[in-house]
Amino acid sequence: MAIQRMSRRRLFGLSGLSLLGTSMSGWLPRLAAQVQQSGQSPPRSCILLWMSGGPSQMETFDPHAGHENGGPTKAIETSVPGIRIAEHLPKLAGQMQDLAVIRSMTTKEGDHTRATYYLRTGYLPQGPLLYPAMGSVLGKSLQREASDLPACISINPFRALSPAAFTSGFLGPAWSPLVVASETGAENDVSFRVRNLKSAARLSGQQVDERLRLLGVLEQSFLAERPDVPVRSHLQSYERAVRMMKSSSVEAFQLEQEDAALREAYGRNPFGQGCLLARRLVERGVPFVEVSLNGLTDAAGPGWDTHADNFKAVADLCGVLDPAWTTLLTDLRQRGLLQNTLVIWMGEFGRTPKINPNGGRDHWPGSWSAVLGGGGIRGGQVWGSVSDDGMEIRDNPVRVPDLMATICRGLGLDPALTNLSNIGRPIPLADHGATAIEQLLV
Amino acid sequence: MANFLALLISLCLGPVPQQAVLQPAVTQGTESSGVVGRFTVAEAAAEIDRLFQQAWQASSVQPSLPATDEEYVRRLYLDLAGRVPAVSEVRAFLDDPNPQKRAALVEALLDSPAFVRHFTILWRNALIPDAFDDFGNRRMIPGFEAWLWTQFSAGVPYDQLVRELLTAPLEAGGGAGGPALRTASSPLAFYAIRELRPENLATGTSRAFLGVRLDCAQCHDHPFDRWKQGQFWSLAAFYSGFSPMDAESGMQMVMTERSDSHSIGIPDKGQTVQAAFLEGEQPDWSGGRTSREVLADWVTSPRNPWFSRMAANRVWALFMGQGIVHPVDDFSENNPPSHPEVLQLLADQLVAHEFDLKFLVRTITASRVYQLSSRQTDPSQADSLHFARAAVRGLTPEQLFDSLAEATGYYQPYRTDNPFVIAAETPRATFLDLFRDEGESPLQRETTILQALAMMNGDFVDAATSLENSQTLGSVVNFPLMSDEERLETLFLAALSRRPSEAERSALLPYIEQAESASAALADVFWALLNSSEFMLNH
Repeated sequence: MAIQRMSRRRLFGLSGLSLLGTSMSGWLPRLAAQVQQSGQSPPRSCILLWMSGGPSQMETFDPHAGHENGGPTKAIETSVPGIRIAEHLPKLAGQMQDLAVIRSMTTKEGDHTRATYYLRTGYLPQGPLLYPAMGSVLGKSLQREASDLPACISINPFRALSPAAFTSGFLGPAWSPLVVASETGAENDVSFRVRNLKSAARLSGQQVDERLRLLGVLEQSFLAERPDVPVRSHLQSYERAVRMMKSSSVEAFQLEQEDAALREAYGRNPFGQGCLLARRLVERGVPFVEVSLNGLTDAAGPGWDTHADNFKAVADLCGVLDPAWTTLLTDLRQRGLLQNTLVIWMGEFGRTPKINPNGGRDHWPGSWSAVLGGGGIRGGQVWGSVSDDGMEIRDNPVRVPDLMATICRGLGLDPALTNLSNIGRPIPLADHGATAIEQLLV
Repeated sequence: MANFLALLISLCLGPVPQQAVLQPAVTQGTESSGVVGRFTVAEAAAEIDRLFQQAWQASSVQPSLPATDEEYVRRLYLDLAGRVPAVSEVRAFLDDPNPQKRAALVEALLDSPAFVRHFTILWRNALIPDAFDDFGNRRMIPGFEAWLWTQFSAGVPYDQLVRELLTAPLEAGGGAGGPALRTASSPLAFYAIRELRPENLATGTSRAFLGVRLDCAQCHDHPFDRWKQGQFWSLAAFYSGFSPMDAESGMQMVMTERSDSHSIGIPDKGQTVQAAFLEGEQPDWSGGRTSREVLADWVTSPRNPWFSRMAANRVWALFMGQGIVHPVDDFSENNPPSHPEVLQLLADQLVAHEFDLKFLVRTITASRVYQLSSRQTDPSQADSLHFARAAVRGLTPEQLFDSLAEATGYYQPYRTDNPFVIAAETPRATFLDLFRDEGESPLQRETTILQALAMMNGDFVDAATSLENSQTLGSVVNFPLMSDEERLETLFLAALSRRPSEAERSALLPYIEQAESASAALADVFWALLNSSEFMLNH
């Protein structure tokens, strides 16, 4: 604590008093919360593997080999007798004891924008209400202590389908996801960077400090006469940005510290290395990390949107997904982190069971698959099932609010906990009427 | 003449002690016949000042000091031109001995293309607020802006602008989803972002033009307000002629409209309602008008109190940071106006002046309340509802970037066929994307870490504060006849539109004079100025 106070002082070169406005809204309450919560259970984290575009359930977790809708995709055995998944995920099949497959997800939203918003916030878009992405709301709920890193970090998001689904909504910018983008250099050397985290190379550390001191001179009198939200928020975000610039926590982004063989196991591609980064962030106490699998390259689009040539496209994507996800689980387990880290795999919807004339599958919100695993989840089971042709849910349909409630419970959170929204109405973590699936919880 | 009077009043107000009771220039109020008298700008501004003086006294509020010329010139440029003034513009204004210079500057800016551009962006935000949320909708924005641009540059009255929007034929511009809209001038984005759904268009119309939030009434009777589900769908029925969009593809491949359709079924209720206006008034279908024409005639009627009050409230909020009804589009019995008489005066005068938005702009900017300082000089000014000091508010992303460009001397290349189409990789596009704000109120504007990092370390500000690449900094450093003090002053004028205070001068000047490299020290100062909340906010 003492160190933080020092750096704050140095940053603005001010007496404590003139920054009282920011202090009150900034880190003091967090410190207070930390004191209250100490001595509780170990911190929990959540990793969302987001499949942008809507992955085919038939080629991943609900193969229908033998039926014409199943196409050429074969089913394989897993480490749990009786549970079979698609042939494209052979490594992951060995992890089934820690995974719970939901084969009965159902919504009415077949449009990318609305469905992306729904699955990522747990709520349908509704007038003026700005729902936060689950990463922001869960990150806020799970964060235990003041940290140099934000509570929600988003790796390689593809936001264009629904930009509103990637914001902190009514929670405000303090809970905005920190966006991290990958860069692939020569020989598939993937690195990650937070844009603009480093000062220009020609500036010495001393010069940067001088600049911040000058900024403090300017802010001092302005804040004193205008103690308003935009001014205080400006100072607060600069303070947090500088703390991050100077923090040792950002070494989390230096993947070269990892063993080469482990990096290889995750896969030398943006998603694989993104999963490794997720583990490093969780290790440093970041409560929510999401890794998007959009396609095979850095700036890919919604790769799972396989309207044409579905079978090759999904097989290629699974070639990236399978080692990355598998290694993430084993790596977390070896480090004793898996029991406190819930891993979610999902997209915004599934694909049509019927194969279209282009060898593709179109949008299908009615009956599709999502997977939960790791901490808080009772693995080794399948929940819900669909008809032989894949068109209808046979039992245990799971609505989006139910999924959200289950995730909350898995993370040790009460789904009925509320945050105050921009229209003054308290909004629960999971929508009213949500029921957690008890059978999936430990 | 009107401007002259307005100016006299605003000038008289300047030095008057805070408690002084203001005499209105004219004593007439609204006329008893129900027809509202037409005020001059000076009369309207004086009446607003009188009403606020009364309100402040009643609440024991001490208004802040009058804004200095430095505060005023920056605020006015941001509010009318969408950017901070250039150094030369600040100097010209500060040195101008003309006692009418504040009103003269309003007139000069109202006549400038920058005003058309800025109002285009403000009204785009107001009319298609969710356009940036959807990839498909984003490409329609330039066409909508181009349409607004033609309206504002031609000085089209507000009622006509809205009427044109509400009755726009679908075919214009090659169809709402067509690629032609990328550059074609068309208001159809208003329909496209609402997916041509009658229910979305009903909520959009009522929020944008009537200030009524019907959203909840779509599914059930409004829990706190008087709106019933039937009323909602009666309004939606005016839009019932649109062919439904293809749900699977999300595309508007073929759009048709039965222009005489005016009934609609309430989903899941098996009940059909006929089109009716907000409070149940029955439309007159004679004269062969289309459903949307009938709706537009009612919405934009001078006798529709919702329409003029909403417009007046919106313009007030654009200049004061917050509506007299706040949020700006939430007129409701549970959300009364803070200063109902001021709102009514503005609404009445908007009607009396044939929906000339510039009349409201002139009136508001001439008022004492607009010309207050943002400095808090008394605790009673803390609540923004009193309008007892100028609001400290966030900039639109466009205001911020255009201000950065102005302050640093960055030349912005625009496309000639449609200046609203922005190439994706330009610094402007990157900035607009990063600083796009989801929040509703500029008074609650918050900064994200990524925004702070972009300002501190990003390429654009870095180039602007490096000696090789910055126009402003380069010319300040290289101009041989300037003293360091004059250099410091010029940088302050470029970024903050003011000269440094004594305290700032004594803190910053030694830093420059004692530095190994004075030019590097000036770059540091310029960096700090551009990163300050004073630069990044309107106040």
